[in-house]
Amino acid sequence: MNDGTLTAKEQRRVLWRLLAYMGRYKKETALAFTLLLLATTGELAGPYLVKVFIDDYLVPGRFDFGPVAALAAVYLGVLVLKTIISYFQLVEFQRLALYVIQAMRMDVFAKVHRLGMSYFDRTPGGSIVSRVTNDTEAIKDMFISVLAAFVQNGLFVIGVFAAMFSLNVRLALFCLFILPAIALIMKTYRRYSSVFYQEMRERLSELNAKLNESLQGMAIVQAFRQQRRLYQEFAAVNEAHYKAGMKNIRLDGLLLRPAVDMVYMLSIMVVLSFFGVTAFDSPVEIGVLYAFVNYLERFFEPVTQMMMRLSLYQQAIVSASRVFALLDHQEEAPANPDGSSHAIERGEIEFRDVSFSYDGKRDVLKRLSFVIRPGQTVAFVGHTGSGKSSIINLLMRFYEFDRGDILIDGRSIRDYSRAELRRRLGLVLQDPFLFYGTVKENIRMYNEKLSDDQIREAARLVQADAFIERLPGGYDHVLAERGATLSSGQRQLLSFARTIAADPKILVLDEATAHIDTETEEAIQDALARMRKGRTTIVIAHRLSTIQDADQIFVLHRGEIVERGTHQQLLAQKGLYYQMYLLQNGLVDAHV
Amino acid sequence: MSVFRDLFWFFRQEKKAYITGIFVLVIVAFLETVPPKVIGLLVDHMKNGTMTKGVLIRWIAVLAAVAAALYGLRYAWRICIFGAAVKLARQLRNELYQHFTNMSPSFYQRKRIGDLMAHATNDLQAIQQTAGSGILTLVDSVMLGGFVLATMTFSISWKLTLISLLPLPVMAAATSRYGTILHRRFLTAQEAFSSLNDKVQESISGIRVIKAFGYEEHDVEAFRRQSEDVVAKNVAVAKIDALFDPTIGLLVGLSFFLAVAFGSQMVLAGELTIGELVSFTTYLGLLIWPMLAFGWLFNIVERGRASYDRVRALLAEQNEITERPDAVGVPPQGDIEYRIRQFVYPGEAKPALTDVHFWLKRGATLGVVGKTGAGKTTLLRLLLREFDGYDGEIRFGGRDIRDYTLSALRSAIGYVPQDHFLFSTSIRDNIAFAKPEAREDEIVRAARLANIHDDILQFPDGYETIIGERGVSLSGGQKQRLSIARALLIDPEVLIFDDALSAVDAKTEARILAALKQERRGKTTIIAAHRLSAVEHADWILVLDGGRIVQAGTHRQLMAEDGWYRDMHRRQQLEALAE
Repeated sequence: MNDGTLTAKEQRRVLWRLLAYMGRYKKETALAFTLLLLATTGELAGPYLVKVFIDDYLVPGRFDFGPVAALAAVYLGVLVLKTIISYFQLVEFQRLALYVIQAMRMDVFAKVHRLGMSYFDRTPGGSIVSRVTNDTEAIKDMFISVLAAFVQNGLFVIGVFAAMFSLNVRLALFCLFILPAIALIMKTYRRYSSVFYQEMRERLSELNAKLNESLQGMAIVQAFRQQRRLYQEFAAVNEAHYKAGMKNIRLDGLLLRPAVDMVYMLSIMVVLSFFGVTAFDSPVEIGVLYAFVNYLERFFEPVTQMMMRLSLYQQAIVSASRVFALLDHQEEAPANPDGSSHAIERGEIEFRDVSFSYDGKRDVLKRLSFVIRPGQTVAFVGHTGSGKSSIINLLMRFYEFDRGDILIDGRSIRDYSRAELRRRLGLVLQDPFLFYGTVKENIRMYNEKLSDDQIREAARLVQADAFIERLPGGYDHVLAERGATLSSGQRQLLSFARTIAADPKILVLDEATAHIDTETEEAIQDALARMRKGRTTIVIAHRLSTIQDADQIFVLHRGEIVERGTHQQLLAQKGLYYQMYLLQNGLVDAHV
Repeated sequence: MSVFRDLFWFFRQEKKAYITGIFVLVIVAFLETVPPKVIGLLVDHMKNGTMTKGVLIRWIAVLAAVAAALYGLRYAWRICIFGAAVKLARQLRNELYQHFTNMSPSFYQRKRIGDLMAHATNDLQAIQQTAGSGILTLVDSVMLGGFVLATMTFSISWKLTLISLLPLPVMAAATSRYGTILHRRFLTAQEAFSSLNDKVQESISGIRVIKAFGYEEHDVEAFRRQSEDVVAKNVAVAKIDALFDPTIGLLVGLSFFLAVAFGSQMVLAGELTIGELVSFTTYLGLLIWPMLAFGWLFNIVERGRASYDRVRALLAEQNEITERPDAVGVPPQGDIEYRIRQFVYPGEAKPALTDVHFWLKRGATLGVVGKTGAGKTTLLRLLLREFDGYDGEIRFGGRDIRDYTLSALRSAIGYVPQDHFLFSTSIRDNIAFAKPEAREDEIVRAARLANIHDDILQFPDGYETIIGERGVSLSGGQKQRLSIARALLIDPEVLIFDDALSAVDAKTEARILAALKQERRGKTTIIAAHRLSAVEHADWILVLDGGRIVQAGTHRQLMAEDGWYRDMHRRQQLEALAE
């Protein structure tokens, strides 16, 4: 994603799409705008009332108690009312912004879950997370402090001019010079600040990236004695960041508050000259002058505020464009008919002439065909890249295939509902993933129908109950940092229990490779043997030792099954399997 | 305000900028009192019909001059004060970085990287704000507030000033009270947001599990609940946040009301001219900012002090690994001898190593094996002098390793750690990390030795390929081999492999080990491994368990013994990898 290089047209399109979200909250939007209109009117009424007081009572020196008291009462009434209304107006605008962001977050998150596995395999997790949270958060900031402020201040500006025109058309016309002057300053400021600010942000993220990396790799940096060199590199980035910061300060100094204040002074000079010239030959309405000065005084602060927030706007548009890009991303998970009532009963699996390619160029599976009878255990072995994992990816519907067919109980897996497939197919991953929460919650996941007894039963079956009960709190033990305190074997057992609790008909095991000590290994093998009972099982094996009792072993090589049979049969064939077996056991330095 | 005293060293260092800046600010504050005065004067001229061309031109000219001066001066103080503040951040950031590079691993064990990052970003930001906006607010609110008050009191009416200022302290109190509540609610909202972030993180990391179980919709539902909580907490923030402007508006409105109400009575009584009343109300407008600013000032200073205290505490951390004054600067060569009675990690109770004694001849290869947590890595880290607090000594080339300078000691060692850390730059820069000036052929040679050269040529830009988040992602085995190449490039006296071959397949492992044997003749190699095949050819093998040496010998000797080594060897043969 190339940040900040959106054309003006793209920016506008993104903005409109953002604003369109408000359409989902018509009532809230209408309420917020109504309140805003009222509050602005109240805001503008103040100086007008004072003007009436000055011109009608103070200057002539007429001080009738009744009307003056009434005027004072109106002023105070309006003031209090305006205060209350503008409070609710502010709350409503923020609420609206929060709703909009909430809606957008739901859209993004739901979209993420509809995306296919291919997207997740290619995209770094961090950047997906950023889309859902940080980018939407940046948009929230803009909605609250920029859009709301723009609308509020914009309306206020219009109101001020309306009030000035009603007081004195000629003078108001003179004051119109403010608008192009401000517009010019704003435009110039925006043109430079979008560049300067962007540069500063880039330097800052470079700085942070550098620091973060150095901290993570400090052991290496010190072991290889590169502290000084990295310090110099860091100092150079720091210097660049400093320069970028100074540029921003200079720009702000030239075009922000000092410049806006200058326009304010000019406008005061215009008003005074106008009244001054008028006063050469006729009396002037002091109250009108007061009102003008007062309006102008209030006019400029919001303008400065808006300008200071322009950079937020820029940032949010970039964020929004990234969010929309994700929302528009076409890489949905393979589709299945929702209403399908076909059920998986026996658990027979057949691959019929299945070919598959990730990139559309190189086939990782080539016309693969095999049948697994219900209740059988079948293992796939082969080198990295032989296509073992692709079999899981297709069977689990993580990826769509286009050639051949995969059948369960004689029916294409495309014809079952997703729910049925998920219920009947139990996948155990190489890397057991645990969620934040208790042991019980990790076994149950979102399956509310599971009773506590069923959970215990599942844990017992895979023999995880012993260690679970030793944990403080047992099944209610909260797993810190996704189970970091458990050994990898224990984590694996928990994920077994999770799968078994769902009672699948077909078990798909992506066997763990390394990092399990030999002691736990035995417990795991034992658990697996129990789990396989009565289930069709597919094992993607990395160790030949664990699959010797499989009913059938398929040896994959470059996407094709090159050997098949039982362990003994395959050894007797003296083919690839035999070679691998020898290599693994270190008996011969085989040259495969 | 004590933070200003703590930062005084910096104000002194940048005294030119600060003195100029503050001086300019004072002038600005003074000049700001001019326009309301002029407005009042002209209003009186108009009212009394004494307005002439000369008067008008004169005063408009004054305003123009003031406007021009203000523009220039406002720019000037910004450069002085804000500029100095950015300089402070730069300086502290450099200091922190340098400090970080000097800290030993025990420091990094105690601190989380996320926290250190937060110090270097958020805390520095808060300090920068204190030295910039903090100073500005202090000077400006005191000076501008003072000038305006003085003008109102002395040149218009002290009575009116007193009356119309009545609501303003309420305003300062209220806004500062809101600020406290807001801060609290804001933190709660931040927490809700960060747990939402964790939730998303978890969902993305566990996407396979969620998809495998078909829980996508449930997960979206769970996300909805949590994000609604975020909305609720943010609405709570909004409810306080929205109090600020209306409250200010109300009290300022009251203030104006009092000014006009009482002021006009004074006008009628002849104590005040209408012009003075108009300029009085304009002054009131000028007072709002200093009042509010004073409330902010406390927030800024509060945060700045907390941040500066944290940064100072960090900078005050001492590195426990120190060099002796008479340390030898020549890299060690020769035999290595461990004589360690006990080593306990700082803050832990159980010793990590006990009675580890052995002698390693120069040029020999030592294998270290044992279960996870047996002490293999600890043994290696002590040689690198990552920790000092052990009972005993390690001798290298006839001297205690603590007699060498850190730089000399480490320049003799090539270290390949367990968790292969690479930098997100080009492959070339990663290999040449310890020797940036290395020649092309040196780099290629190291890469070939580590069996990674062919892989590198497969990448789009060969050796120039950028790796890491912004570039190509490498497999675990490739990362390991790259970090091996990095260590080999400096052709170290001692090469240390800390389970550095775990992710490469058996064939590659054998090839790398064979290449090392040939290339590193006469140089010492220490290999710690989980897989015994990596140490089979070592001249001597130590088996560690619970921090003690439980077996020692050559492969042949150990295989003849009934013990952990032979047991493990058999098991591993059974479970060896199919790659």
